[in-house]
Amino acid sequence: MSAIASSPVQRNRKLSSRTVFGALQHVYIWIWLVLFALPFVVTILRSIQDVDGGHSFAAYQQVFESYRGNLWFSVKVTVITIIINLLVSIPGAYAIVRYTVPGKRFVLSLLNLALYTPGAVAGISLVITYSYLFHIPRTTTGLVGAYVVGTYPLMLVPIIVALRDLPQVYEEAARTLGANRAQSLFRVELPLLGPGISAGILLTFVIVFNEFLVTLFIAGPHTTTAALTVYNLTRTGFLPSTAALAAAMQLISFLVVLLFFRTFGSRYLKGTFLI
Amino acid sequence: MSIPASTQKDAAPSTDNSRSRERRRRLTGPAMVLPALLVTVLFSIIPIVYLAIVSFTEKSSFFFRNTTYTWANYSTIWDRYLPNLETTMRLALLSSLIDLIFGYPFAYILIRKVRYRELVRTLMVFPLFGPLYLAYGLSYIFLPNGPLSPVLEFFNIPATKWLYSEPSTLFGMMIFTFPFMVMNIGAALSNVDPMLEEAANTLGAAPWKVFIRVLFPLSYGGVLAGFLMCFGWNLGVFVVPVLLGGLEQQRVISLTLYSKGMSQQDFGMASAMGIVLMAIAFIVTWASLRFSRGALGA
Repeated sequence: MSAIASSPVQRNRKLSSRTVFGALQHVYIWIWLVLFALPFVVTILRSIQDVDGGHSFAAYQQVFESYRGNLWFSVKVTVITIIINLLVSIPGAYAIVRYTVPGKRFVLSLLNLALYTPGAVAGISLVITYSYLFHIPRTTTGLVGAYVVGTYPLMLVPIIVALRDLPQVYEEAARTLGANRAQSLFRVELPLLGPGISAGILLTFVIVFNEFLVTLFIAGPHTTTAALTVYNLTRTGFLPSTAALAAAMQLISFLVVLLFFRTFGSRYLKGTFLI
Repeated sequence: MSIPASTQKDAAPSTDNSRSRERRRRLTGPAMVLPALLVTVLFSIIPIVYLAIVSFTEKSSFFFRNTTYTWANYSTIWDRYLPNLETTMRLALLSSLIDLIFGYPFAYILIRKVRYRELVRTLMVFPLFGPLYLAYGLSYIFLPNGPLSPVLEFFNIPATKWLYSEPSTLFGMMIFTFPFMVMNIGAALSNVDPMLEEAANTLGAAPWKVFIRVLFPLSYGGVLAGFLMCFGWNLGVFVVPVLLGGLEQQRVISLTLYSKGMSQQDFGMASAMGIVLMAIAFIVTWASLRFSRGALGA
């Protein structure tokens, strides 16, 4: 009698310890999620603090007035880099998937070379070549060159993934129905490659917009990006305006990433920098 | 009589045409890769070759007429900068180990138990915006009278000893590379069939035994790849020691390289340090690519 009575209780206790363990696992995940977002949240909180203890968005106004030029320059350089990346990567990915390229594996690893060079090494090597060989020190051209070589492999990979997924029948169908090569490229294949290409655009944007290390080496007084401004300002302490600029940069990046996830999901980012 | 001649006449240009088309087709591939290759050669390979050359010259003499070639930079690194290399390696190794210890359970729970994976993925992009904002935010949190000080007081840690120390530097580096670790282990774990664990469980294996005998061996590739990836990123650490580290941590190679090259204009020394750092980073990356085959789908 007692054995029968105790068995549901025992099962109940076993069940509850399991639910506690299950809950603890979720708590563990959430602790880390809070840690990831905490620096950003604290930066925002700092940026809206007033001198007299109140809250205001005065720092953002100040940032917009003082660093508008840097922000605009950042956006400009990022957009130029994205365009050059597209012009370089789409034909490259197309050739690697659809055509024969002698020594394909070697070429691919050569293209990825810059991806694995530490930032400071890339910076110092570019300083030397820019001033000695190319004669473009402290110029926008130099910055864009450094960004393109560092990020176009990240655009190449998602496009290669998307192209491999894309059966060749669509292209063949378009050609047999009378489309010429350019028509089939622009009206059939590029739209189908859309998600892969936008994944590349996202990666390039996130990295170039926030890059400060190589920039620190090769930028000049007239080519200071917003991210480099944040780095320079961190030396001045914890002013609300510094926090406001850092928060604004993260906010812009985060909104772009969010927009991308909403539109395309994260499938095409597999095997790349972001998950 | 005239018919074969005409077909012959027709056939000859057509084979010629197809051969030239074939040749064009064979040339199209390399031609389309050419822009990419050109960018890499101009902005990556030539600079690295120059870096190697400059690393054998004295101070900034490479830029002037009195260029003197010497081994001295490398022997100076051996004599004087081994502690800097050691600090770099130690910080990278420790932070990657912490990533591994905390990242494995995270990846396991994420793959097996969590339904809100999109949310996790979305919040995990914050560290990927770069170590600068992260280190800045953390350094504000760690201020002696900042938001963290009650917690530190609770654990009896003097708040003034926390910021600008090795633990806070490691903390910043660890958070930055955590997503890379989770991404690699998660990719490996999602290829492991949960049935295998269940089979081991029903056959009477204890949870720790399931982990050691089943789960870990099957996800070993991802673990190694993640560890090496984190290690590679952390080798080039720059801004985290600037904002969170003390003098000891600010000896890392990237920072020494910057102050040598950009502040003291000793380009020979800075280049030699760059070559050494790059050699270590390349070995690590090569190993990680070798072991990650399948884990990254590459």
